[in-house]
Amino acid sequence: MTTVDRPRVRNRRSRDWLGYLPYLVPGLVAFTVVILIPFGMNIYYSLHKWKGGNAPLRWYGLGNYTDLLADEQFWTSFRNSVAMIVAMVLVPTVIGLLLATTLFDVLGKRFGPRVASVLRASYYLPQILPVAVAGVLWNWILNSQTGALNVLLREVGVTDPPNWLGSTSTALPTVMLVLIWIQIGYPVVIFMSALQRVDPELYEAAELDGAGWWHRFRAITIPQIKPETFVITLTCTVAALKVFGPIYVLTRGGPESSTLVPSYYSYLNFFDKSKVGYGAAIANVLTVLIIVVAVVIMVLQSRSARREEEGR
Amino acid sequence: MAVQRKTVVAGALALALPLALAACGGDSSGGGGGSDADTLTIWHYENDDSAMGQAWNKAIEIFEDEHPDVTVNVENQTFEQIQKNAKIFLTGDDVPDVMEYNKGNATAGQLASQGLITPLTEEAESRGWDSTLPASIQTTARYDEQGLMGSGDWYGVPNYGEFVGVYFNQDMLDEYGIAVPTTFDEFEAALATFQENGVTPLAEAGAEYPMGQLWYELVLHYADRELVDDYQLFSADVDFHGDAFTQATEKLDEWIKAGYVAADSAALTAEDMGVSFINGTYPFMVSGSWWFGRLTEEIPFTWGQTLFPENTMHPGSSGNLWVVPENAVAKDLAYDFIDITLRPEVQEVLGQAGGLPVAGDSSAITDPKTKELTENFEAILDDDGLAYYPDWPVPGFYDVLVSEFQSLINQSKTPSEVLDGLSSAYESGKTDLLEG
Repeated sequence: MTTVDRPRVRNRRSRDWLGYLPYLVPGLVAFTVVILIPFGMNIYYSLHKWKGGNAPLRWYGLGNYTDLLADEQFWTSFRNSVAMIVAMVLVPTVIGLLLATTLFDVLGKRFGPRVASVLRASYYLPQILPVAVAGVLWNWILNSQTGALNVLLREVGVTDPPNWLGSTSTALPTVMLVLIWIQIGYPVVIFMSALQRVDPELYEAAELDGAGWWHRFRAITIPQIKPETFVITLTCTVAALKVFGPIYVLTRGGPESSTLVPSYYSYLNFFDKSKVGYGAAIANVLTVLIIVVAVVIMVLQSRSARREEEGR
Repeated sequence: MAVQRKTVVAGALALALPLALAACGGDSSGGGGGSDADTLTIWHYENDDSAMGQAWNKAIEIFEDEHPDVTVNVENQTFEQIQKNAKIFLTGDDVPDVMEYNKGNATAGQLASQGLITPLTEEAESRGWDSTLPASIQTTARYDEQGLMGSGDWYGVPNYGEFVGVYFNQDMLDEYGIAVPTTFDEFEAALATFQENGVTPLAEAGAEYPMGQLWYELVLHYADRELVDDYQLFSADVDFHGDAFTQATEKLDEWIKAGYVAADSAALTAEDMGVSFINGTYPFMVSGSWWFGRLTEEIPFTWGQTLFPENTMHPGSSGNLWVVPENAVAKDLAYDFIDITLRPEVQEVLGQAGGLPVAGDSSAITDPKTKELTENFEAILDDDGLAYYPDWPVPGFYDVLVSEFQSLINQSKTPSEVLDGLSSAYESGKTDLLEG
């Protein structure tokens, strides 16, 4: 009997697998064509000196990578990445959490959900604004001579207002503020939907036990929305490491490389300096770093999820 | 979870995509190259109302008259688009037959050394372009195997020129009783007078090219042709701590310290500079002839234009080049078109609109201001006085110049440190270029 059954089972299994295949093929093809092959080529280019075009490729081995180690601008760009993480992950997540709970707990309850969602949409607005437009807008505001901000400051008697994007001491913090402005809507939206998912009975029970707002926030809200916090941390960290658009439109890495980031530095070498291999090497280092950071965050997330399951 | 991980890894990998895609070349261009010789596809980036745009339209008109069977397909691109992407789309088959492109080692020289554009020496000789164009204009047309300008094959043909000079606000000069400076001392005295009266004299911009051009004017004030050739054409090694570079950088530093340049101009763009000059905020603007048309249109006060006082050499060059991609289909038609752009009737259209013709003469120009500009340019050409631009020698030097002069404006580096920065970038760029 078993001898008869086995092939049948195997047949059914392979048929099942074949049934899924058509759905997998487009994704696999796209992944191969759009990601795997170009990434492989990028690694290949990074091992050469190459001007691009029809110019000859010259084997350089790991030379581009060892050159990077001694390249001060490369290190500056990665130091600035830390600032980008502060501006795009840390600060927006904390502020986003506070805003979301305020909108959900206070404003939503007092003025109705419509007010809360209008406010939520306004916070989200910078996210849907094309970065080029946001850049032009901020340049209008921050221009040292004609910018709205400095005109205003001069009006109120500040004789020597800061040169926001032009001085090495203020350019990076200013770019960070703009990034916070751009970024903040994203955690607000995610956290608000997360808060809607939390069972209101938990809050009611805690309230009956006499827990105040702060206690409820710490003991219920934060643990309950942990999965969303991980998602935000992960996506925003990746975004912060590869940030390009805002830097391109606001400062182009200046003044004096004080706002240089790895992706812009890679672009600079690739296009302006025609150092394709070197640009590719920078992009590869960045890719590896992003993969490592992503994996670390995901391991932490799964560990936390496992601990929670065990705790129950 | 598994799905999420895959997405994240995929997202991370996707980061490398634009660069890798860029490198793999292929047919990523928009627009067509004309599949047979019935079509001539032209790409350029001039506005219809600019001097160049008007002249190209005239050339297209003549071309169509003379080639009734050929369809001319003109595609307007942006400067940035062509500048950044040329080396990608020119590796494909879908390329224009003739294209406007920026000149210099870092741009056309790169395309030439990458084998992406066609050598034009034979055409230049048989059609007489080599005798029509002045010698200093030809420098930017020729590139050697490493992509260095000045020798080797012809790879592009310029048909207009440009130079940097001093624009002044006559009303402001009059207000403070200052004559248009004709010597370097008079120029400095004028700057000082304005400064003493609480007027910052120089419109400047640290985030883009203007500051580098002012510095280069000062270098040219102290330098001779030999140094320029060493610097631009690698005729010999350049000592950045030599007299001319040191004096120029220290002079610039002195001007910044004296308040001749606004202390908050490090992040200003060329557009900011132009607009503030047009608004009458600053009495002087040291910049290029490309501003001429705009200033004529927009300035409400009396203004004028002069050469940088006492300089015998000036930043400037041919205008952009017409190049023929290696993969172009209708190359013969492209050569015909280039030839037409050098004809007197097209050059006259350029000249009348202030476009600085390179193969015409200024006597036919009717507008006095345009005539003066053109005569100034002709005087520079007669003296072999074009010294190109400071960022030309090596790719990526533009960003280095911007960054170093931002340091000078912000007073975060001494002139000597600035020269160190310039020197090391120049040397490593030169090594990269010569190694190929």
